[in-house]
Amino acid sequence: MAHALSGPRKRSSGPRSKLDLMPYLFILPAVVIYVVFNLGPVLASFFLSFFRWDLLAPTTEFIGFKHYDFILNDDKFWNALSHNFIFLLLAVIIPVSMGLFLAVFIYEIRRGRVFFRAALFLPAIFSGVVIAYVWKWIYHPFAGVLNPTLELIGLGAFTQSWLGNPKIALYSTFIAYTWASFGYSMVIFLAGLQDISTDIFDAARVDGANFWQKLFWITIPCLYDVFTFVITLRIFTAMGVFGVIYILTGGGPFYSSDVIDIYVFRMIGNFEMGWATAAATVNTIVVVCISTGFIKWREWRSWSS
Amino acid sequence: MEFLSGRMQRRLRGAPFYLVLTLATVITLVPIIWVFASALKSNKEIRENALALPGEWRFQNYVDAWFGASFDQYFFNSIFITVTSVAIVLFLSSLAAYAFAKMRFRGNQMIFFIFLIGMAFPLSAKLGPLLSLMYELKLANSRIGLILVYVAGSLPFAILMLRAFFQGFPQELEDSAALDGCSRFQFYLRILLPLSKPSLMALGIFVFMGTWNEFFQALLLINEDSKRTLPLGLTAFQDEYFTDFALSFAGINITAVPVIIVYIMFQRNLIEGITVGSLK
Repeated sequence: MAHALSGPRKRSSGPRSKLDLMPYLFILPAVVIYVVFNLGPVLASFFLSFFRWDLLAPTTEFIGFKHYDFILNDDKFWNALSHNFIFLLLAVIIPVSMGLFLAVFIYEIRRGRVFFRAALFLPAIFSGVVIAYVWKWIYHPFAGVLNPTLELIGLGAFTQSWLGNPKIALYSTFIAYTWASFGYSMVIFLAGLQDISTDIFDAARVDGANFWQKLFWITIPCLYDVFTFVITLRIFTAMGVFGVIYILTGGGPFYSSDVIDIYVFRMIGNFEMGWATAAATVNTIVVVCISTGFIKWREWRSWSS
Repeated sequence: MEFLSGRMQRRLRGAPFYLVLTLATVITLVPIIWVFASALKSNKEIRENALALPGEWRFQNYVDAWFGASFDQYFFNSIFITVTSVAIVLFLSSLAAYAFAKMRFRGNQMIFFIFLIGMAFPLSAKLGPLLSLMYELKLANSRIGLILVYVAGSLPFAILMLRAFFQGFPQELEDSAALDGCSRFQFYLRILLPLSKPSLMALGIFVFMGTWNEFFQALLLINEDSKRTLPLGLTAFQDEYFTDFALSFAGINITAVPVIIVYIMFQRNLIEGITVGSLK
């Protein structure tokens, strides 16, 4: 501790001073836990995907791309990944635009801002498990609320097995995801809006700009970086969707709502560690490429225009 | 519209916004209200009319759900795991963020960048080896093991957020503290932490919510009933009582209510924790 007490002064005593250990002591506990329980397993997953190994018998044998050969020729892998892409496409359009419009509306009103923000954000605070069970009951064939409501308002023709029909099961899970995620985009947009100088909006009003003109010529351009952040968040949540689908459909029926994280989880459950790590590595490469590619593209666009 | 007063005009201009917002709020909240109402009905009522309000309020459903399953145990596990994780994350991330923000040392940028990388990987990227590691270390099926995994998962964001906040502190503050013979650890403990209370609060609530709600890793690492957290316990409960509608609804509410209470109490802190990342 003697060294610590003289720390700040020692620092400025020139390049010949002893190595200052204090900063390393400050970061050490965080580094150890992070490396052992987070980064380490990620790197291990990458390396072990080239080996034959399983949980119970720790014999490892280098087998090159054999696991990848299996994964990349597995229809179920591509099936699951394609569902993540559908989720991603829908997620950057629907919850993001809902969040934007609701944020703009809340920004436009005077009274009740805090109430509407709090109420509309409410579903976003729940665990994916709670969200999934709420919707499992909404979709329930006869104890649910959706089918009886449709009949009540004369749309009885649309009633159906929302989670049992392979054609729509994935979209039914997406609705549950949207219910819990538009509020997230909304509060971020709202914070961004409140950062824009009100002078710009006042000037636009004096010039007689209407709602849509203000939206397209002021709000959206001013929120450029906020959009990048909100959409990046959606990329990660859509590519990593798990709990909601796991509980609502388990990836079924007939793998029609399967996604990559459920695929990997199923592999681990079957003790197919090699396939699981290979699939996880391919998925990681895809996610990192999409997210960094998107961010770089946004930076390049804002720089070049 | 000339004949209307300015105040009336403003009100009319806002009307469509209120209309849409009210409609959106109703659609958003109806599922929650419906689940709460259904938890007070009898099974017969639910089967006969899923949309009707409860005839008489059956709070017995909650009692049955609480005692019929081990919700008291799940609840304790969730509280213990979440509170401990949040405390450790706040302590370790503030220590590290202080070093990254205010100290010069070899590898500062590099090590900080290694922390940032942790946010780019999807969760599934570490699961296989993580499970294997936890069995090796005898930390599978253990609350302590789950805490370590949660802390490791939250550290990158926490360090990023606090580092940005600490960088805003004037250097003079630290220099004058040093002049008074204050060590860097004392400065951290006595000056930096008390001055950062709002940020630590926002971060703490944000991490609390994420940890309380976590499901994927808990599902992978815990399979003893006595170690389950609430989200995990709810799935076991739902599998068991799937035909008992009223009890299922009560179970969902028992899991949801603690989060709603925390949200009502700390709404501002939570939203600050979420939006602070976007302004970086």
